[in-house]
Amino acid sequence: MWDQILTGFGYWDVYAWISFFLIAGGMVFLIRSLGRKDYKQGSDQDEIFFGSNPVPEDGEDLKVPASSAYWGYTQALKPFYDVLVGFHTGIATDYAGWYILVTALVALLILL
Amino acid sequence: MSWQVHLPALLLAVPLLGAFLAPLTALGGKGLRNTWFVLVSAAFTVIAFLLWTRVGSTGTAIYVMGGQGWNLALPSGMSIPVRILMEVDAFSAFMVLLSAVAALAGALFSIAFMDRFSGLEKFVALYFLMVTGMFGMEITGDFFNFFVFLEISSVASFGLVAFWRDRGEALEAAFKYMLVSTLGALMVLVAVAFLYSKYNVVNMATLGKVIEWGMVEKTALVLFLTALAMKCGAVPMHMWMPDAYAEAPAGVTCALIAVSQASLYGLFRVTYTIFGAFMGSPVIPWVIIVLGVLSMFIGVSMAVIQKEVGRLIAYHSVSQVGYMLLGFGVGLLALSDARAMAEYGFTALKGGIYHIVNYTMYKGLLFLSAGALYYATGCRNLNDMGGLGRKMPKTMVLFMIAAAAIAGLPPFNGFVSKLYLYESTFAVHPILAVFAMVTSVLTLASFVKIFQTAFLGPALKKFENVREVPGTMLIGMSVLGVAILALSLFPTWSVNHLVEPAAKALVDQASYVGAVFAASLTGGGL
Repeated sequence: MWDQILTGFGYWDVYAWISFFLIAGGMVFLIRSLGRKDYKQGSDQDEIFFGSNPVPEDGEDLKVPASSAYWGYTQALKPFYDVLVGFHTGIATDYAGWYILVTALVALLILL
Repeated sequence: MSWQVHLPALLLAVPLLGAFLAPLTALGGKGLRNTWFVLVSAAFTVIAFLLWTRVGSTGTAIYVMGGQGWNLALPSGMSIPVRILMEVDAFSAFMVLLSAVAALAGALFSIAFMDRFSGLEKFVALYFLMVTGMFGMEITGDFFNFFVFLEISSVASFGLVAFWRDRGEALEAAFKYMLVSTLGALMVLVAVAFLYSKYNVVNMATLGKVIEWGMVEKTALVLFLTALAMKCGAVPMHMWMPDAYAEAPAGVTCALIAVSQASLYGLFRVTYTIFGAFMGSPVIPWVIIVLGVLSMFIGVSMAVIQKEVGRLIAYHSVSQVGYMLLGFGVGLLALSDARAMAEYGFTALKGGIYHIVNYTMYKGLLFLSAGALYYATGCRNLNDMGGLGRKMPKTMVLFMIAAAAIAGLPPFNGFVSKLYLYESTFAVHPILAVFAMVTSVLTLASFVKIFQTAFLGPALKKFENVREVPGTMLIGMSVLGVAILALSLFPTWSVNHLVEPAAKALVDQASYVGAVFAASLTGGGL
């Protein structure tokens, strides 16, 4: 139960990793404990820095929406995504069509 | 004779009884219906566990219904009369155990999740019918019954996907699922007919013994392959999956994952057990590998750009099925070459099987987490969510466990199965491992997106009154969360007791075939 997993090419030892995380976690807490102790909760030290503007009351005005995530990635790969999204038509007959097409293609490969 | 010889029959009888009595229990009120839902689910999970342990200790189990005796597999001078023959080897028992755990988690979650809706006696009945069909597919020893169980699970699934019939999208998803699923089932039936027309049998073990590599067999194999690959969501036949998974109630989706795994089981039963090393061409293994790579990469690429939680996770299902197809395809490629099998084939197969366990657990949990978010907020769109980690800390922790596992972050279980796959597929061609790794990176990216936009960020005023989901939903999620942690912390135990016996059973065609013939001669399958 406690042995390593051998893959035939290397091995995996979960406990080495857990030890690593425990040590790394300990170091994080150590660094945190070196912080200033005179921090005052509820004072201006608590305030969010929002580009020197007043912080909006509703988080809705602050949050980054999911549609903004990986904007650069999707823009860079726009031609690829145009094809990919276009391929997902949502039309039921297309679903059946792709299935028939793959069946025909595999049949050609195996029967000929 | 131990009563446990009847476990294969009980595995089907219990959920079937659960389905037929569900409308009656509803007459006793909500409490009785819910108790029935949990009791039957717990009962079939215990039966699945007992069956798994029994098969592990005594070997392949044979059970015959409709014959002269439960243990007489091939009576009447070795002719094959009409009967329901069940054959449970280590691979079947492994699949049954996983499916049962997923179905139990889905049932526990559904109690509170579905509480605000009407018609729940129909929901419970359909749920148990779907589970019966799924178990039947995994333990049947003949192809016609496989088709029947496939249809039972499919028809019940159509009803469950369309359960929220006030939503047009749910009805549309169910219709599309029904269309392609029925087409696939029809092809399975035609494939069975092809084999029956030549061999006059539908028994899997008998076919495995006598099968040749001719035109009829090739045609049947192609029909089986594409139909079952479509049912488990392989690209480019995957499009029904995001629709159906995103629209079905979350508890149902958790069980639907196990249903799609039953189709994957069927695919590998056909390719490994029936054709196996007799398959005189590398075309089929390479077709499976290519379908796997396409599924991995296209599935995850589509997932990254989704904004709806359910659809995003559903596209990941397509991607994760790709990993399994890749592992099994590489295993199949090496099946007829002992050296290749020893060098990388068996490792790839173990990776594929380990990924089935992991996928069933973490994907189930991810869908339940998405359901919890919908239950608490009424939102499906990630753009409308934010700051929910403060309100739903337990859901967030469970989501984090599942997300880290699916992304293959060490030390979680997803990493171990992916490690097997990376290293073994690299031996076939490095590009396969590159695709697998890039997919893993994009998987991490899309789950970071859900985590950041749904759980992190500033608190939103509209969610001021949002609370953590009810206890039974958390219990349902915790069943899978604990399973993921156990698989992560004890990978060696998982490999030795779950994965390797299943992998050995899958490649040991002679043992699967021999079990039925031994039972016919000795009159004892267990």
